[in-house]
Amino acid sequence: MTTEKKLKKTVPFLNKHKLKETGAKTVVSIFRYLLLIAISYIILYPLFAMLAYSFQSKSDIMDTSVTWISKAGTLENYKIAWEALEYPTALLNTVIVHLVSAFIEIFSCAIAAYGFSRFKFKGRGLLFGVVLFTAIVPVQILVIPLFLNYQFFGFGYIVNLLNLIPGVNIPYVSLIDSPLTFWLPSLFGVGLRSGLFIFIYRQFFMGLPKELEEASWIDGCNPLMTFFRVVIPSSGVVFLTVSIFAIIWHWNEYYQSVIFFTNDFPLSVMLSNIRAEALRNLGYYDAFAAPPVSAACLMFIAPVLIMYLFLQKKFIQSIDRVGIVG
Amino acid sequence: MKNDENKVVDTNNTEEKKPSLSEILKAEEAELKAKKKAEKAKKKGKVAYDINGNIIPDLNVKHVRGIESKKSWYGFYFVLPWIIGMILFFLIPLISSLTYAFSDVVPEDGYMETTWVGMENYKFIFQNDDTYQLNLLSSIGDFFTQMPIIIIVSLILALILNSNFKGRTFFRGVFFVPVIVATGVVMGLLTQSYGGNGAIIQLSSSISTDAYSVVGTGGGMDFSELLNSLELPEEITAQLNIMITDIFNTIWTCGIPVVLFIAGLQTIPSQLYEASKVEGATAWEEFWYITLPSIGQTLLLVIIFTLIELLTKADNPIINQAYDQIKNVEYGLSSAMLWLFFAIIGAITGLIILIFTKTCLKRWE
Repeated sequence: MTTEKKLKKTVPFLNKHKLKETGAKTVVSIFRYLLLIAISYIILYPLFAMLAYSFQSKSDIMDTSVTWISKAGTLENYKIAWEALEYPTALLNTVIVHLVSAFIEIFSCAIAAYGFSRFKFKGRGLLFGVVLFTAIVPVQILVIPLFLNYQFFGFGYIVNLLNLIPGVNIPYVSLIDSPLTFWLPSLFGVGLRSGLFIFIYRQFFMGLPKELEEASWIDGCNPLMTFFRVVIPSSGVVFLTVSIFAIIWHWNEYYQSVIFFTNDFPLSVMLSNIRAEALRNLGYYDAFAAPPVSAACLMFIAPVLIMYLFLQKKFIQSIDRVGIVG
Repeated sequence: MKNDENKVVDTNNTEEKKPSLSEILKAEEAELKAKKKAEKAKKKGKVAYDINGNIIPDLNVKHVRGIESKKSWYGFYFVLPWIIGMILFFLIPLISSLTYAFSDVVPEDGYMETTWVGMENYKFIFQNDDTYQLNLLSSIGDFFTQMPIIIIVSLILALILNSNFKGRTFFRGVFFVPVIVATGVVMGLLTQSYGGNGAIIQLSSSISTDAYSVVGTGGGMDFSELLNSLELPEEITAQLNIMITDIFNTIWTCGIPVVLFIAGLQTIPSQLYEASKVEGATAWEEFWYITLPSIGQTLLLVIIFTLIELLTKADNPIINQAYDQIKNVEYGLSSAMLWLFFAIIGAITGLIILIFTKTCLKRWE
């Protein structure tokens, strides 16, 4: 302390410099907060608006004095949305089809990524290039052939090949309306955005220290056992990140569900029809559809939002540590 | 060692085993052969080591399967399920979809009856469908204006969120909300259903007066009135309106890139920054010489991710058009539309990525 004071007395320049720096710093931090608050407003505004709208009744919409908070407040919109979405069944469908598929994908992608990150085998570079390619090609381009593949499922084209033999005519199995349309690709690590997940996993595994795994090999574990007993326990961070992404993207999946399912739709498909349903219930005014649609949207996001609120702290920490960099 | 041993042996039995010159040569030759064999084995990865890390050439190389060789096989096993799945659920559908684009497709029981028609599908599209050309041009234009904006904005946001300040956790929590909400149907409902022009928040009531959005009327800030009160020329006001709505859309698309960038920024070792501070670098120099080069890989990932996001966005006109063709059972036309669009975007993005990896990433390493 004393030396510092002495220095400052003898060298006034030091003080000035510091003063200037702190001044600049406060300006920068004020700007930072202003920017962050503005953007937070943009992000949170639709959520709060939806919440406010979902409680408005018909008379509130007509009333120009009501902008946010409903005068009477009504749960009618939630009731309409609940019925229009067929909420319990649709939720169950989403869980069975998409949530299960997400969990399968989390593990299958990790296994493939481990193969890519730890072992050298012929054609590894090429195959990993294909992984990135699968990530880029949008599913819309594949959806017609995939639909055919599922409607006349030949167990990986085996039946198709056998049927080429004259005289052989094995019937195909239809997988349409069955959750297998999502489970199967996930099981093989080519499900919804699997390419991206394999990439994220691989980057993380490459950064793990090798010593632990080598020790377990020497102790007699084969690589698969090593993977389950050593690698998975030490990569909770990346599993959390991928899990959250996988669950959210599956939850929101719409395009394939609407093609591979003819009934028993998951929530996302039901939600896309909500507006027509709401209009049917309320008379044909576009404006009247807003409150029930808001309610339905909130009911749709609620499960993932609650999951996020619980995992948020861990998720943010995991983002810090996962290190998605080469 | 060996020579010494030989000498010892020699002194003991001088009569019986005195090695002749030829014998010594033979022995040397054998030793050389063994060494060569060992080296070959080393190249193949099939070597046995003794405790000091020296190669043991005497062991029968063929039967030794060290960790290295085992490892390479196991790697193949790990990837094998993915290879099978990739062929069944990606490669075959991809190739069939490509053939559909150049064929007349009639669905039959169990397969598609395809007759090769060459470029007929494209001829049909370009002669009869004016909207496709317009949509194609506008989507590609949108694509290449939005991509840089999203990347720059999300990088700036990530840099801010990565710096140390009070309330960082709270703001991070808020910034990840779009990650949850913005992907999918909710977004579509908020943007499309109410006659809005693609904005989450219907700001521009002057453009479409009776449009109504979930989060629009009255609530929020009405920028358009503010802009109108400035009494600028009408065209500028309209442009500004569009820009403001674009800002809202952009920030909502930035959610995941921000997350990816933060993850990348966290891996930069702090020593680098300390060193640069000692050297007296400014924040600007720090960004260009340390931050940006260190997150090159992340940048690549974000480019790829944004590409997918923009391509598969629900309000992409090309995808909607192709989807309508699926409904009309015109699978050939649908595939043709999609393939042209993706081929153009894929080619240009591939070029960007190639240039990026060849110049930037290499220099940064």
